[in-house]
Amino acid sequence: MRQMLKVTVNGYPWEGLVKSDQSLLDFLRDELGLTGAKKGCDGGECGACVVLLDGRAVNSCLIPVLDVNNCEVRTIEGLQDEQTNQLQDAFVSVGAVQCGFCTPGMIVAARALLAEVHNPGEEEIREAMVGHLCRCTGYTRIAAAIKLAASRINPETAGPER
Amino acid sequence: MDLIGRDIPLIDGKEKATGRMVFTADINRPGMLYGMVLRSPYPHARIVQIDDSRAWKQPGVRAIITGKNRQFPFYSVAGQKVLDEQLLATDKVHFIGDEVAVVAATDRDTAAEALRLIKVEYEQLPPVFDPLSAMADGVPLVHQSQASNIPYRMEFSRGDINEGFAKSEVIVEETFNVGHQYQGYLEPHAAVAECDISGRVTLWLPMQSPTLGRITYAAALGIPENKIRIVQMPIGGGFGGKLEYKLHALCALLAKETGQPVKMVNTRAEDFQAGLPRVPMQIKMKLGVRSDGTLAAKESEIIADSGAYVNYSHGILLSACHRHDNLYRLQNIHTKGYLVYTNKVPTGCFRGFGNPQVHFALESILDMAADRLGMDPAELRLRNATQTGDVTVHGWQVLSCGLSDCINQSTNGAGWQAKRLTEIKPDTKDQVEKKAGQEALQEARYAKGIGLACCLHVSGNRTFLPYFDGASCRITVNEQGMAIVFVGETDLGQGARTTFAQIAAHELGLPITDVMVTLVDTDINPHGLGTFGDRATTLGGNAVRLAAADARRQILAIAAEETGSTAEKLVINDGIITGEAGIRLSLAEIAQLALSQLAGGHICGQGVYIPPDVTAVHPDTKYGNISCSYPFVAQVAEVEVDRWTGRVKVNRIVAAHDVGKVINPLLANGQVDGAVAQGIGYTLMEDMGIANGKVSNKTFSDYNMPRITDMPEIKSILVESNDPNGPYGAKGLAEPALTPTAAAIANAIYNAVGVRITELPVTAEKVFRALKERFGCP
Ligand code: FES
Ligand code: FES
Repeated sequence: MRQMLKVTVNGYPWEGLVKSDQSLLDFLRDELGLTGAKKGCDGGECGACVVLLDGRAVNSCLIPVLDVNNCEVRTIEGLQDEQTNQLQDAFVSVGAVQCGFCTPGMIVAARALLAEVHNPGEEEIREAMVGHLCRCTGYTRIAAAIKLAASRINPETAGPER
Repeated sequence: MDLIGRDIPLIDGKEKATGRMVFTADINRPGMLYGMVLRSPYPHARIVQIDDSRAWKQPGVRAIITGKNRQFPFYSVAGQKVLDEQLLATDKVHFIGDEVAVVAATDRDTAAEALRLIKVEYEQLPPVFDPLSAMADGVPLVHQSQASNIPYRMEFSRGDINEGFAKSEVIVEETFNVGHQYQGYLEPHAAVAECDISGRVTLWLPMQSPTLGRITYAAALGIPENKIRIVQMPIGGGFGGKLEYKLHALCALLAKETGQPVKMVNTRAEDFQAGLPRVPMQIKMKLGVRSDGTLAAKESEIIADSGAYVNYSHGILLSACHRHDNLYRLQNIHTKGYLVYTNKVPTGCFRGFGNPQVHFALESILDMAADRLGMDPAELRLRNATQTGDVTVHGWQVLSCGLSDCINQSTNGAGWQAKRLTEIKPDTKDQVEKKAGQEALQEARYAKGIGLACCLHVSGNRTFLPYFDGASCRITVNEQGMAIVFVGETDLGQGARTTFAQIAAHELGLPITDVMVTLVDTDINPHGLGTFGDRATTLGGNAVRLAAADARRQILAIAAEETGSTAEKLVINDGIITGEAGIRLSLAEIAQLALSQLAGGHICGQGVYIPPDVTAVHPDTKYGNISCSYPFVAQVAEVEVDRWTGRVKVNRIVAAHDVGKVINPLLANGQVDGAVAQGIGYTLMEDMGIANGKVSNKTFSDYNMPRITDMPEIKSILVESNDPNGPYGAKGLAEPALTPTAAAIANAIYNAVGVRITELPVTAEKVFRALKERFGCP
């Protein structure tokens, strides 16, 4: 069955028929060719598919596409602001990226975190990232990268350099 | 340009972090079909018949292939002698998840629906699940073509164990059990295939060894190797699990059948059910130690659960049987090993290749012996540690060995002496409550402990494969002065491309941004067996170094001719060639000159590295120097055990690795972090829950991999022993970094609460039960 959907993706309006039982992730990847969000599990357990839905980080594999009617979706491809750039630079420079399959989801989630908390501490980071699996890095550098990016974006509220 | 030893971030890091890196599942080709696999629901059954007529009626279906409508040759992974696999099951299925049919359709939903409509009639057969019972006479055979369920067995001796045991002050004996571990790469197995008019298939695959894959898939499909081209795609985590995989050949099959491009991607459940997890083993070990701490004799029996097919498990069994013998100066050894078929998921390669399993046993039993001798476990290891220059009991020529340094530096780094408790606290909860009230209760509840374990690995070893197993590289310089590196070793995400770029840039005198490293394409890249066995940096790195030196010679020869100077008087720095009397030319200028001087030819450096003095092991005695270098490790785990519940928390891991020479500290430490995380998962958390042949934990919520909240502090110490064979002295790191973690944690648990857990994973229940057994109520 196909139904009408109206959605804004990465700032561009989109309108058309979609498979009603499709997930937001499949819609983004298969219909729009936005493959930055990855399918690691298709069950809400890995965080590789995280996108912003009206500014909130969500596992797009769990969202029925029709639920995003009239919403605003932003994927890794549509995040090109200063904060995202800082996060990407920090992830690469501290070694928080290895194979990179988990990375887009991590960056989007970290971007959402920094929009809420300027300089998150270890606990806040752990809480925000607990839904994200990474099998390569052992996570310590991911936390370090988020802190580094935060301190560069908001130097005035950052704690002392560690 | 001295780039060796510098922190250089991944050259493809930004591509990954922006989501621009194209992985296999992201590929879209015009007219592409979607392929899916029908898998067996039974562990052991005869296929009576398959009815695909209803599935064919589904609009959009383009191909349905089964073992009933097609003949498939028997094959094995490259060079393995027991041909026990077919692309699709013909007569029997051998495990839950065995491939029975494949379908290609215009989209995923249609393919899934077609699978549902294929009716397979099975006649269930009695299965065998337990490797020990599978070894007995008269049990059902997993493969009818085999005489028994034991496709491989081995036995070898060194010295005289009877004499060794006779001279021992203590003899300890224990049986260890280690289970399946799933690789847990975030990218599930995937493949895209396309067939041209001549019947030649191009496969886009996230795989560790395109060269080996081509050999195996040609055999599986019954076509010549030159009819397959493999283009390596970025690998979203491999860890051994993506060396080769049947789905790739199935995708090629569908592309040949339909003449259209086909994509196949495992669901996560399929990947759990039919991946190639770590080989489970039962390890019986008996160790004799003299009163002065000298290791005197060791006897072992290893039974490895191959699951339904051999895959690489014969090599893994061999590795488990004999690599660890070279860690210490032990002369009297007797070992028996059996590889056993069961009707369970076939097992395969996973970081460590049999070594984590057996080091859990060896390094646990060493602590048991130390305990009996009243000797510090670090001291016991130092007394016996292999040293630089040793030729080990199996004939390994150890040209660099930092084992003692690793032990000293990891224990010092962890504050070993101060933290090592000499006494455990055997009080039960009731006693403590009575004695001292709440405060003491809390203190007694959480017991801290510290444990050490060591390991070694090979780096750049001779495999059982009949193919050239050195490495080769070609470096071309284009007219813009950019060096392009072609090598046969793959990047699994660990950063091999970055390391290769770093080496090429270092040798050529270029900024690293002027070096590109291609992904492997079997039509273009020179031969290389790919990435496994810690060979990428050691062998591939050497080949890149030699190719870059060759390219450099060519560049300087052209520059010398152009300027009337001599090559010896010219240097390249930052992409500029300079020399006396103000000679100054850019590499781009030289490349353009080369183009005209060589009439359209170009600068092309070649490098071939053949590891010296390396042989395959003797088929019977298993003797021989199998690798050109050997990395060593010591890890110290600090744990906290909740004595009331048995829950174990790792507080810190201090990991010292002898990597020969650190080429890129940023990436090297990243390998340690990731490996230790996997090691902690292996030790404490990960259990596939296989019962009656069925994987019950096949989601990430049931199969518990470490998350960010599970990670302790990891302190990494890199020891440099400067190996004469490694490039710049470097040896491998990624595999041994996981190997000792389990034993280090188990030893720390013993140190904390006095119970020895001999089975992985070490769950809270097991610790709780052991505490109860030893001390009564906790
Ligand atoms: S793919 Fe959505 S959480 Fe894993
Ligand atoms: S970098 Fe590979 S899964 Fe995170």
